[in-house]
Amino acid sequence: MTIEQKLSILTDSAKYDVSCSSSGSVRTLDFGGVGSVGNGGICHAYSADGRCISLLKILLTNYCLYDCAYCVNRISNDIRRAAFTPEEVAELTINFYRRNMIEGLFLSSGIITSEDHTMRLILKTLQLLRHSYGFNGYVHVKLIPGASEELIIQTAALADRVSSNIELPSSASLALLAPDKTREKVLQPLTMAKNYSLEHQKRPIGMSTQLIIGATPENDLDILRLSSSLYDKAMLKRVYYSAYIPINNTKNLPALTTPPPLLREHRLYQADWLIRFYGFGFEEILNEETPYLDERFDPKLSWALRNLHLFPIEINTAEREILLRIPGLGVRGVNKILKARRFRALNVYDLETMKISLKRLRYFVTVRGKLLVDHSLDYQQIQTELLLLPKPSPAAQPTLFDHFYPTVMGEL
Amino acid sequence: MILWEYDGSFEGFLSLVHKSYALKTIPDTITRSQNSGTLLDESIWIETDPFNSEKVAASLQKYFSKEAIERLMHAFLCDDVNPERDILLYIRIGFKSAEYLNDLAHPTIYAIHGYQRRVLSTLHKMNAYLRFEELEDKTLYAKIEPPRNVLPLMGAHFCKRLRGEPFIIHDRLRSLALWFREGEMKIESVEGYTNPESSPNEKKFRHLWKTFFDHVAIESRKNPSLQRSHVPLKYRIYMSEFFISP
Repeated sequence: MTIEQKLSILTDSAKYDVSCSSSGSVRTLDFGGVGSVGNGGICHAYSADGRCISLLKILLTNYCLYDCAYCVNRISNDIRRAAFTPEEVAELTINFYRRNMIEGLFLSSGIITSEDHTMRLILKTLQLLRHSYGFNGYVHVKLIPGASEELIIQTAALADRVSSNIELPSSASLALLAPDKTREKVLQPLTMAKNYSLEHQKRPIGMSTQLIIGATPENDLDILRLSSSLYDKAMLKRVYYSAYIPINNTKNLPALTTPPPLLREHRLYQADWLIRFYGFGFEEILNEETPYLDERFDPKLSWALRNLHLFPIEINTAEREILLRIPGLGVRGVNKILKARRFRALNVYDLETMKISLKRLRYFVTVRGKLLVDHSLDYQQIQTELLLLPKPSPAAQPTLFDHFYPTVMGEL
Repeated sequence: MILWEYDGSFEGFLSLVHKSYALKTIPDTITRSQNSGTLLDESIWIETDPFNSEKVAASLQKYFSKEAIERLMHAFLCDDVNPERDILLYIRIGFKSAEYLNDLAHPTIYAIHGYQRRVLSTLHKMNAYLRFEELEDKTLYAKIEPPRNVLPLMGAHFCKRLRGEPFIIHDRLRSLALWFREGEMKIESVEGYTNPESSPNEKKFRHLWKTFFDHVAIESRKNPSLQRSHVPLKYRIYMSEFFISP
């Protein structure tokens, strides 16, 4: 098999993993050769589906012993199989990197021969890159649940980020669809890596996981509750959400014709952002009565509409944390207001000068004590008016990065 | 209508700032090229004067914060518009009181922030979308056509990234080349142009990259307009994945 054929098969097998970020990493170790990692990620291209290409995202092999129902590479699927050697992966990475095509490598793998054998192959690839090539770029590898602690620690010591995908948000769904995995088994390598990192490294290693959305019956509240606890307790840096794309015909999963729930995925990312950067708790965004995110409005707007008694807010006096909760204001808008209002009490024209849109803002603020809308705040009225606003173009879909100010919005 | 012209260099612009104070005049328009005035306007040519520009640079350093100086230098690179008059006003505000320069609701100051943001966003895109090819002697060579003059800002990023490997970035719109070799960096104007010989590996890796690029996309999520909003067509000229056949 040529390297080109392998690359096409093993890219196809890896592409359903949504993680692509190369940001938020500061490394103190230096391996002596080409490459650097910065705090802000770089997307070197965008594929035809509009997703960022930052890393060479491939599988080492798509041979797999497991039979997870949602996975394209499960053992019972009749697909073309291939395997890279560690040397081949290292050579591709270095050559793409030097040509400025990627920021680094994201290496995952099916389980070949045994968990330990697979982990050993990934470790060997990392060792080649770091020690033989002196590669200093970004490397994200999957830890293999069930591999020995020694191998996991050696791998974590050489990577910028490690991850292990939970995939299904509840233990019941895991038992049903991924009989070879349990949540404890999936999280175990992350715990090992975390403990090692806390003891031996200056900065804790970045860790992430992925949840599949829409394959199983969990609601958004279940999902956000799980992510919050992963951020708090497991110290994960990112939880990725992946709209389930039916690839296998299985009785326990949505039919092959079901479209991926892209809007739901988008709303979950927005809610995730509110939790990580805007000081919201998940129980503020959702509760038992409303366990799903409203698809018509973004989660901050829905929250505000449910809490109209907290508004209007005076933009000239409110504190930063309060400003951040106003629909229509993001981190950048808040920073502009804070800077400018040191010089004068801002009026509507000042907001216009600073290109702060009043479209949604006007329902929720006062400017120098004055309301910007005629009617007193009424939930129904605002909702109707907001629904009549022109829809954003389809191009304005989720972006995982803020390109221009990574330090403001990115993975802080 | 007062129209001033200068040679387009940063030194030239600082000389112009000096002139503005000396003549107690703020021109209505400042342009980079000669002979662009209409018949009705009388244009004045401002000669670059190293002594005066040095004087202005020294007082900028004395009275302006580091961020403010960086901001106006970034704004100056926004050469798809004429930012000079706004930069002149910005400098005049700063000499009154450097503290005023933080007033974002002031139209001039907001405009300067806008120029800087556009330059930095072009820089970020160019740093991401530039593609090197390896030449026969292992030097990395890239052609670019950036919509704003970001070449002077690109050296730092690639020095750090390539760790001392020699590279050349060639701005074909402005006929400028940034060279890095043996620890030294310089920007030169290049007039003639011959396509350098690339290394024998080059074709192979471009094809492999194309294979990866095509296969990483998920068919059921196809979204060409989203792709185009991220990578506008003008940035694709030298991105081989968009034009070589698989």
